[in-house]
Amino acid sequence: MSIGRFALKRSLQGIGVVWGVVTVVFALRFVTPGSPINAVAPLDASQETRQAIAAELGLDQPLYVQYGQYVFELLQGDMGRSYIRGQEVTTLVFERLPATVELAVAASVVAIVLAIPLGVISATRRNEPVDYGATLLSLGGISTPNFWLGIMLILIFAVEFNIFNTSGRGVDVGDVALSVVNAEPFVGTLLTWLAYITLPAIALGTYFMALITRLTRSGMLDELSKGYVQAARAKGLPRTLIRYKHALRNTLIPVITVLGLQLGTLIGGAVITEAVFSWPGLGTLVIESINQRDWPALQGSLIVIGTSFVLVNILVDVVYAYLDPEVVTD
Amino acid sequence: MVSSRVIRNLKKEFRQSGLAKLGLALVVLITLTAVFAPFIAPHNPTNQQLDQSELPPIGFSETTERTTSQMVDGEIQTVTEEVEITADPDHVFGTDGLGRDMFSRVVYGARTSLVVGVLGTLLAASIGVPVGLLAGYHRGRVDDALMRIADVSLAFPSLVLAVALIGLWGRAAVNVPDPFVAAGLAPEMPQSFVLPITVVIVVGLVNWVWFARVARGEALSLRGQEYVKASRALGADDNTIILRHVLPNAVTPIIVLGTVQVAAIILLESSLSFLGFSGTTLSWGFDIAQGRDYVSSGQWWIASIPGIAIMLSVIGINLLGDWLRDALDPGIEGEGGAA
Repeated sequence: MSIGRFALKRSLQGIGVVWGVVTVVFALRFVTPGSPINAVAPLDASQETRQAIAAELGLDQPLYVQYGQYVFELLQGDMGRSYIRGQEVTTLVFERLPATVELAVAASVVAIVLAIPLGVISATRRNEPVDYGATLLSLGGISTPNFWLGIMLILIFAVEFNIFNTSGRGVDVGDVALSVVNAEPFVGTLLTWLAYITLPAIALGTYFMALITRLTRSGMLDELSKGYVQAARAKGLPRTLIRYKHALRNTLIPVITVLGLQLGTLIGGAVITEAVFSWPGLGTLVIESINQRDWPALQGSLIVIGTSFVLVNILVDVVYAYLDPEVVTD
Repeated sequence: MVSSRVIRNLKKEFRQSGLAKLGLALVVLITLTAVFAPFIAPHNPTNQQLDQSELPPIGFSETTERTTSQMVDGEIQTVTEEVEITADPDHVFGTDGLGRDMFSRVVYGARTSLVVGVLGTLLAASIGVPVGLLAGYHRGRVDDALMRIADVSLAFPSLVLAVALIGLWGRAAVNVPDPFVAAGLAPEMPQSFVLPITVVIVVGLVNWVWFARVARGEALSLRGQEYVKASRALGADDNTIILRHVLPNAVTPIIVLGTVQVAAIILLESSLSFLGFSGTTLSWGFDIAQGRDYVSSGQWWIASIPGIAIMLSVIGINLLGDWLRDALDPGIEGEGGAA
């Protein structure tokens, strides 16, 4: 099977999974006590008013009609109107999505940049103090609740030293980029951006930093004990070349797969990190929608989260297949 | 199931690994704390003593401004003065905003974390393991269906799904009478333990798929083994083969995964309590949420201490998991949930 066919096959599977996601999200409303009308109707609404609202929201239709309609509208990019905000859910969700993506990407960058060198050093200097330090650090990292870490960072860097902002988003990455074009003070905009994003990115990224360090370390140890490394050494190749070009490359392949699967944890972590730092992303929207029983907004956010997960994992699988063509053959 | 070789490996690893010893010590400490909470806690963790609120932990003191009204020459004047608040040896970890003893709350929080962690894991395993074994053993349509369901449920982050389900289903809790208090041994302590039952059910439902995946993988590789084929040739029916030959040989990776899952569920529970999606107010996550409001005014200990408790418990369980993994099956890949 060629890479192209593999990608096509994975995409078709992905469509099936997204359909499953949509169905589960739709079904959620019917395994929940209480009618969605309650979220909209005033407490003292008469029976007629309630029926009118039900008719307007399409809730008086049989289930399969509601489902069919929901899927049909979804295919056209229409996720309904928020009960509470009165806005189109599609607009609402895509307004919030960039903030979450920005936070998740920043956290991943923090994690990867620190973790891979740490994992490699830890493996190549096994049982030296550096290794113990890295092991303890990563053990602490996978065991620390990120919301608590966020609060501790606020306590230290914002309350005690007053360096960072702790609430909201300030400017976004786009503003930083645009400041160059618009001849605005680039450094100032960049610093503002950093002041807001640094603490949440560290709070969210620490778990992944720890996870990647552990994976890189054990993977490197595994690779370094293999025959090809010994052969390369015997041939007299420089150590750095063997470590970084050969061993690290082979280590990173499984690391990428695990990270794809952990994307859910990253988004889940983003939800709670957003709550700590009042970051205006999808996570805050999910929690607000649940508390207000804003069904269309909740459904829309969940579908977008689920779909992103599926998309990223298809991408990861295709990259994996490209790096390691044996995957495609089974 | 547990052969002498397994026990030998466990002992050998344990002797060699200082981290395994630390892990076991932490887990034993937390388990004992959870079980004997009424005897360890010096105060009732729910008792509010407003005149003793916001006391710092032992060894620390706090300066705050206190505004009082006084009658001076027939007029009411407000006087603001700096007050030094010193720790009270009766409250080792200090008190929270309502004057509740932090140490007692940390002790009782261990119960919630551990009970939810263990029950949630058992629930997840009792759904996931049978489904995974059946799917992996029979393959075909059942297996395809399971894998698709697994794909869909993996697409939802467990925290997001849990928040949605609990938010929508309600935060039900069951009062389980505390046997020690009922027997009159610790009369001042809370009469019952509040079990957040919706949380247990939901964390079980969002995590079963990890068990299903591992059990399926084991069944897939075991079904081709000679002894399974032989048993089938001798006329044993499928359920007997699964119970007597496949399950016992799949137990090791399931136990390793189970350990990691307890840690993962403790973290999930604390996140849910922090966000207010739990049925109990006696939980580390809940206390961190309370303490968050005091961070900017200087009462750092209210949010910090429960977090340290979470961290130590999860570190202990993770170390225990590492030990079991290394001793039982060196072939199992690193990170439990993600394998």
